[in-house]
Parts: sequence; structure tokens; C-alpha cells
Amino acid sequence: MRKVYEYPKSRAAFERACQVIPSGIYGHQGPAEGCYVPVEAFPLYSSKAQGSYLWDLDGNKYIDYMAAYGPNVLGYNDPEVDEAAARQRAISDCTTLPNPVMIDFADLLVETVDCADWAFFAKNGNDVTTCAVMTARAYTHRKKIVFFKGYYHGVSPWTQKIDYAGILEEDVANNLYVDWNDFDGLSEVFEQNKGEIACIIAQPYMHGNFADNQLPAPGFWQKVRKLCDDTGTVLIIDDVRAGFRLDLAGSDHYFGFKADLICFCKALANGYNVSALCGREFLKNSVSSLSFTGSYWMSAVPFAAGIACINKMKRLGCPQLLIDQGTKLKKGLITTALKYGFDLHVSGVPSLFYLRIADDPTLMLHQEWIAECVKRGVFFTNHHNHFINASLTDEDIEDTLEIADEAFMVVRERHS
Amino acid sequence: MDERTLAYINLFAVLGGLSQLCRLDEECGKLIQGKEISIGIAVKDGPEGTIRFSGGACTVTPGIDRCDIRLPFSSCRKFNGLIDGTVTPIPSKGFTKIGFLLHEFTALTDKLTAYLRPAEGSLEDESFFTVSTAIMFHLILDAVAQIGNVDKVGRASASYIVDGDVRVAIQGGPEGAVHARDHKLTAIHAPVDNPTSYMVFSNMRDARDLFDGKVNAVVCVGLGKVRIGGMISMVDNVNRILDRVSMYLA
Repeated sequence: MRKVYEYPKSRAAFERACQVIPSGIYGHQGPAEGCYVPVEAFPLYSSKAQGSYLWDLDGNKYIDYMAAYGPNVLGYNDPEVDEAAARQRAISDCTTLPNPVMIDFADLLVETVDCADWAFFAKNGNDVTTCAVMTARAYTHRKKIVFFKGYYHGVSPWTQKIDYAGILEEDVANNLYVDWNDFDGLSEVFEQNKGEIACIIAQPYMHGNFADNQLPAPGFWQKVRKLCDDTGTVLIIDDVRAGFRLDLAGSDHYFGFKADLICFCKALANGYNVSALCGREFLKNSVSSLSFTGSYWMSAVPFAAGIACINKMKRLGCPQLLIDQGTKLKKGLITTALKYGFDLHVSGVPSLFYLRIADDPTLMLHQEWIAECVKRGVFFTNHHNHFINASLTDEDIEDTLEIADEAFMVVRERHS
Repeated sequence: MDERTLAYINLFAVLGGLSQLCRLDEECGKLIQGKEISIGIAVKDGPEGTIRFSGGACTVTPGIDRCDIRLPFSSCRKFNGLIDGTVTPIPSKGFTKIGFLLHEFTALTDKLTAYLRPAEGSLEDESFFTVSTAIMFHLILDAVAQIGNVDKVGRASASYIVDGDVRVAIQGGPEGAVHARDHKLTAIHAPVDNPTSYMVFSNMRDARDLFDGKVNAVVCVGLGKVRIGGMISMVDNVNRILDRVSMYLA
């Protein structure tokens, strides 16, 4: 039996944080976001990370399947990426004039990403999804945006919902919502809003929370592409989460269509802070016309890191490697669950798999199992897709399956 | 803030609190002993409901079909004025029973106000604190249901809530649930079996601090003072409605 972790130092740090930081840890990594249920089963702060591993403040070690919620695509502290970043840092980083490494990075993205004729850089996924929507509006001179229900495109007001704190009705007045994979519904929305829709923004497949991830139905994206072409609507793929874990040429390429704009962030530079909007030639002037920038958006170090990251991902054949490792884990987890009579669903592309124990629609059983995994050294979260990184070994997968086995056993004994 | 939603809250949550008041406050319970009387409230373009005193208990239910006293209001704003004390109601039916309105009913609503807007220092009295917090707990459940069904933004939140029960409880204190079916919400003032999700406050004091806006709900979840689980999307959306409860009841 594995040691069951405890987290006194994490708890103490969180209590200290609550005094000086709103909600202690805010946003997606915060303990109230629903990914850490029950909260006492999870550590809240890390002390160090290396490769596929994360250590919490209490010294407990984890095989980390959240990968910093995606950025850690090659492994924490990848030596090639870190060396490239260190070299650039010795030269310059945030300066009055940009360093030409920015052009090198744009060149590399144009060469790598199927739909890219240019690249525009920022810092976070939200920056580039916002830039994409502004570009579409500037180009089409139309207001409305189509979303697929269950979407996540960042935190700017236009991405949120009418009932979120701080959001005005006006912020979301031009948002239209369609069910994922419902092409008829989409066509109807286009018919009802003829000449008013600037863009569709979508993740390449539905990786919403609390439900199994859904891949596109056969032919779905091709029909959406044609609809956009027929109506002069800009098709934006938000590849912030899935980008480079399906296909280095972009997830649109993976699913056999071509986006007009594609947004990247997480896996772009193995943890160095940069995001990119790439797009087709006809939208380049529209992006140029925007008033949209930031203090650190042209910092050189993340560009150097991004170049090293993409080159290494190419050399490793990264997406296939991640899919293969994810598939091994998926098969192992399903088999282990069955041994204890649990129906574990592993959905989505295996490089960013989503877990759900389907025996209990309330998800309480699932939350129990995830908690037992975490307390034994496998960092899963309850209701978010997970991320494979390239440093994950077969031994790590074996170790994960052993821990998952013990966790299933504990839950089964509790409910027998 | 929407006057119509506020009217629904005032009728079914605030005046709805009379039922808990008569159950939890001994003095109020005695006041309605032997009383068999009902007050119908009819708000034009707004809610209709009957406050019924019978068998030593008080219930508040939708509709005014069989009421002894009828209080009509020409608008939601006028009815809301009754609750904030700026409008005096004139019955259209039941003049002979107006004594109940002037005496027992007024005494009950005064006591309810004392519990809902406690005077400084009164919460230090443990029994007053317990009753006040319990009444507030049930009032909040009712307000969540009204906002989720009537308020435009609240209805958006309810539209994301899947069918089932969100168990809401205070350890060592009151317990209830928000029931959702086809995105319509109902408050339940008793324990539920097999909830779809839950939100449990660790104790009465922590719950009260949250109700009074003295502490942050997100921090409380992080600290384990509020435990959540099950279908978290339900809890998320009920919490969004809860944010609006404080806006309406401020």
C-alpha cells in the first residue's frame, strides 16, 4: 500500500495567501474551481518540478497529468528549451526595440502551421482569442459571434456569460450559442442572423467540463468550413488547449479542414509565456489595423524558448508520441477500473484525455477515486481534461496504473 | 434590480419566512395557536400567493383561490413598498378579519424583521442567533428558487442547471435543497435523499458570516469551511444565483 499524503504546509500557505491575495489562489488553479473535490485531498502549492513530476510544499511527489494545465508539453525544465531561453536572456529580453528572434519565431510558425501565413504574438490564450474576434469584426464589419455550448475561450467579458460576476448584458449581447456537432442548428442560427455573423469561434473538439469530451462528427468541420465560406464568416479555431498535442500543423489540419485564424498558447514554448494568433493572408491587414498590444508581448526570451520547443516537438514527432503514451494510459486505466467493476470513460484525444467514472451520474464516486489517486501520487483533477507530456515514460505509466489500482480498490471497499 | 423578481422574493421568500418563524420562535408559534385564517396577496403583473395560518403552523403557497383576506397591489413596486414599509395595504376582501392583520400579523412581521435585520449585539444571544440564521437559511433557499425562475440573469443560470437536487445544509443546523427540473427551481426545506450535488457549511457561525457577506465564498471553499461535491456545475450555477440573492436582499 502506498503512503497516503497529507498537506499541512500547503494548507498553512493557503491560509497565509487568503490574507493578501483575493481567494488565496484565483482562477483555474484555485481550489474552489471544482477541479479539486474534496479540497482536502489536494495539495495547493508546489515546491519544484522536473520532467513529468511535481513536488508539493510538503515534499510529496506526483506524476503530473495536468502539466501546468497544458504548457508543460516536453517535460518541466526541458534542457533544450531552457538553454535556448538562457542564451537569449543573456542577450536581451524586454527591450525598447524588439529582437529579431521574434521574426524567426514567426517564420517557424508559418512554416509549421498549415493555415498560417503570418503570426501575431501576445502572452495568454485570452489575448489571442480576443485578437481573433476583433480581427474578424474588423474584417467583416459585423458584430455577432457564434459559440458552441460548453466552450471556453478565455476570461475577457465577451467570452463570459450573462450571469458571471462583473459581466454586463451588453458584453454578451452579440453572442449566439449552438450545440456542439449540431450543423442544422448552426445553419438555422446563420439563417436567423443573415449578414450579421462575424465569426465562429470553436475549440477543435468539445472538451468542456463535467461531461465526456466529444470529437467532431464525421464531416462536421467540412460543412462548417463551407458555411463560413458561403457567408463570408471568419472561422476561428481556439487551439490554445489542444494545440500541438494533436498535430504540429494545427488541430484544424488534424481534422482535415483549414481555419482562417488559429490561436495557440499552452504548448507553444514549454511554459515560457507567449501566445500566438496565426492566420491566413486575407486577414493580415485587419490584424494590422487593430489597436492591440501589451508591455511584455515582444519579450525575446519566450520567442527563443518557443523556437526550441517547436523544433524539439518536430524532432520527437511529439503529437503522435503523446497520443501513443496517452493511449497506453487510457487502455490501462480502463482495464484497471473494470477489475473493480467500475466503468471508467476516457474520452477525447488520448494526448489530452478526459476521465469520468460513468457508474454514478452525480460524479461523487469519480471524485472519490480521483482524490485517492492524488493522495497516492498521481496528480489528476476531477473535471478537466488532462495533458500528456513528452517526458512521460512507460515506467511512469506503470506506476500510475498501480496507484490507480490501489485507489479503485479503496473506493470499491468503501462502497461494497 | 428587477421589481418583478423582487416581488416574487418578497412574497415567497421574505413573507415565506413566516412559516419558519412560527416553527422556530416559540412566542410566534403561540401567537398563531388556534388561528384559522388566510391572507391572499395579488400583485398585478406579479406574484399571487396565500399566507395561511392553520393548525398552529404557517404556510405560504402560490395562488389566492381560497383566502379570507385579500390584499391587492396595483404593481410589483407597490407590493415591494409594503415590505419596505412605505406602502399601507388596503384589503379588498375580509374587512371583518382585519384585526388579525393589524395585531397578530403585524407582530409576526415585526418579529421577522428583527430576525432578518438584527439589532446590533442581538446575535450574541445564542438562541436568537440560531433562529435568525435558520430563518435566513430557508429564506435564501426560497430566494434562489424565485430568482432562478423569474430574474432574467437568474434564469440564464438556471438554464445551465441539470435535473436533480443540490443539497444545501449547515452542519448541526438546518438542511434543505434546491430542486431543479427542466431548469425550473424549487426550494425544499427538508433533507433530501440521493442529492446530485451538495454544498455544506461547516457550522452556523461560518454560514452566518457568508450570509452577511463578511467572508468570501471562494475562500471558504478553499479552506474547507464550505464543502462542495457531486455535479459541481449545479453548485456553480446555484452560487451565481446566490450572488443575486444578496443584491436583491441588500
